[in-house]
Amino acid sequence: MKISFFETARYCAPRPLPPEWPVPSGAYDPEAGADAYRGMIERLRYVEELGFDWVSVSEHHYSPRILTPSPIVSAAYLAAHLQRITIAVLGPIVPHSNPVRVAEELAMLDTLARGRLVVGLLRGTTNEAMTYDLNPDEARERTDEGMELILRAWAEPEPFGWQGRHFQYRAVSIWPRPLQQPHPPTYALGTSRESCEFAARHRLGCGVSYGPFEVMARATRYYREQCARHGWEPTPEQIIYRANMLVADTDQEAHARLAERPGTAPFAMREGIRDAIVKIESRNIAGQARTPNVGGALPTTFVGSPDTVVEQVRRCREVVGAGVLDISLHPPGSADLDPLMRALELFGRKVLPRLRDI
Amino acid sequence: MAATPEPLARPPGAAFREGFVEADGFRIRYMEGGRGAPLVHLHGAGGLRLAASHDLLSERFRVVAFEMPGFGQSPENTRTRTMPELASTMAQAAGKLGLDAFNLMGTSFGGKTALWLALQAPERVQALVLEAPAAIRQAGAQSPSGSPEEIARRLYAHPERLGAIPLPDPALRAKAQALVQRLRGPDRDPELEARLPGLTTPTLVLFGTLDQVIAPAMGRFYKALMPNCHLVFVYDAGHAIGTDRPEAFAEVAIDFLQRREAFVISRAPTVIHP
Repeated sequence: MKISFFETARYCAPRPLPPEWPVPSGAYDPEAGADAYRGMIERLRYVEELGFDWVSVSEHHYSPRILTPSPIVSAAYLAAHLQRITIAVLGPIVPHSNPVRVAEELAMLDTLARGRLVVGLLRGTTNEAMTYDLNPDEARERTDEGMELILRAWAEPEPFGWQGRHFQYRAVSIWPRPLQQPHPPTYALGTSRESCEFAARHRLGCGVSYGPFEVMARATRYYREQCARHGWEPTPEQIIYRANMLVADTDQEAHARLAERPGTAPFAMREGIRDAIVKIESRNIAGQARTPNVGGALPTTFVGSPDTVVEQVRRCREVVGAGVLDISLHPPGSADLDPLMRALELFGRKVLPRLRDI
Repeated sequence: MAATPEPLARPPGAAFREGFVEADGFRIRYMEGGRGAPLVHLHGAGGLRLAASHDLLSERFRVVAFEMPGFGQSPENTRTRTMPELASTMAQAAGKLGLDAFNLMGTSFGGKTALWLALQAPERVQALVLEAPAAIRQAGAQSPSGSPEEIARRLYAHPERLGAIPLPDPALRAKAQALVQRLRGPDRDPELEARLPGLTTPTLVLFGTLDQVIAPAMGRFYKALMPNCHLVFVYDAGHAIGTDRPEAFAEVAIDFLQRREAFVISRAPTVIHP
């Protein structure tokens, strides 16, 4: 099993922040922001030393919770400061990006990182669509078309035009091309039927997140079925499972700490917006409707002592089939970095070495 | 699926007029529509089937879509031996209609005919549009065959959207099979490819990203071989681009025919509010 550390460039607010989303930009403290990125590099040097295989970054907007609105900029910075670890860009949100630009930047990043790049492409959730004025009803179509254009831009040796539904170009011919040929290991992230089918059709990996093993297994099973229909079989490493983890010295302590965590998202949307999103959002797991989680805290899947967590990971491997575990060890919403560093140390010493053979 | 087009309510080409012209010893049928600069179309191996893209092109051009001898209802053509011969026949047919210089569009099999016609008479062909041309094919490429449904699944990315468009007729395809097999040439045709670097005609090559007859990757060979060639992929279209995505196909074809190379410079306004 490969282990990935989900890095969020956690911002430690010097003053209390308004608990709403979008979080008012005026509440941002530039020094605290600079500290967040400095702290990120220090932490990741330790993560690299502990022997994690990947560090992942994602795209989120208008909030201090995950201070990486541009995952590609984040990844370029990581590539310059870290030596060995694979950098997994598990953004960018395709439907509100310029796909050609994404293809160029990822090719550049792969080259700068000397081929240490892994790419995940995704649709993003409705609140993310809102940040760039994207009509959520068009997000799925724009994602599929954008992903196809990115793959084409990486592969095509001659200048080409693109007559899409949502994107149009007359002459695309990117420089540089990716260092890894034909392209970096790429995943279509998400549980939806559309995303699994896209991944299968284009021989990409698939990535699921946060849900219970049995539920996520419905998506990964569907993905593998679709791959078989297209005449190939994905490797375990082509399935990523991302989740929150709370590891403590004992099960009792872990559960006690879990009970202290708030049940709602730290920066909630106003009710009217949240209700509208719930109404609009259309998500599915391998074709079955999925209730959106809007405003609630993301679940913590792995909870317990090192022994317990190792067994949970083993079950995840068996049930979901994931060969890459992308974990967040940070208490959601907390600006206190000490618990994260303690969790990291405990995980690195007592858990990580035992996950290799799973 | 916000942008999924509705199936066509009525068959395309309703405003086109049928005509016949005697040329090179053949009586050649054609469908004509629209006004403006002439645009001659040479169809694919399945024969002449007007698509929604013809209607859109006829809003800007005088479209003359020929039915080449041996296809459709015309008598079996046992006389034409080679693709250059067929190209010569079609050039004469255009001449008989008074078309000395014209834009030329070729689909699949007809794309190869169009290339030969341009090589034979470069001064008459102002610009070329090649829709999924079959002049350069992946090894072992096969024409669609079988039942109408099977043929439709090979030709169209979305046969379920055909609506009023009739399914392909296997009998008509079968009748022209001998001619097609005789004229299509090898998958890689050294004689043709040796001459393409000398063809300076402005050329637009289009492939649907879901083409299941000719691999869209073949497009790069035209681009690499021809000095004034532009390659465009039409997303979510199969082999019959003009039926699968008529608006996308016609927009780029018209823009190219009107502005030639300058079509790479966008003139589409993006202002939301003044």
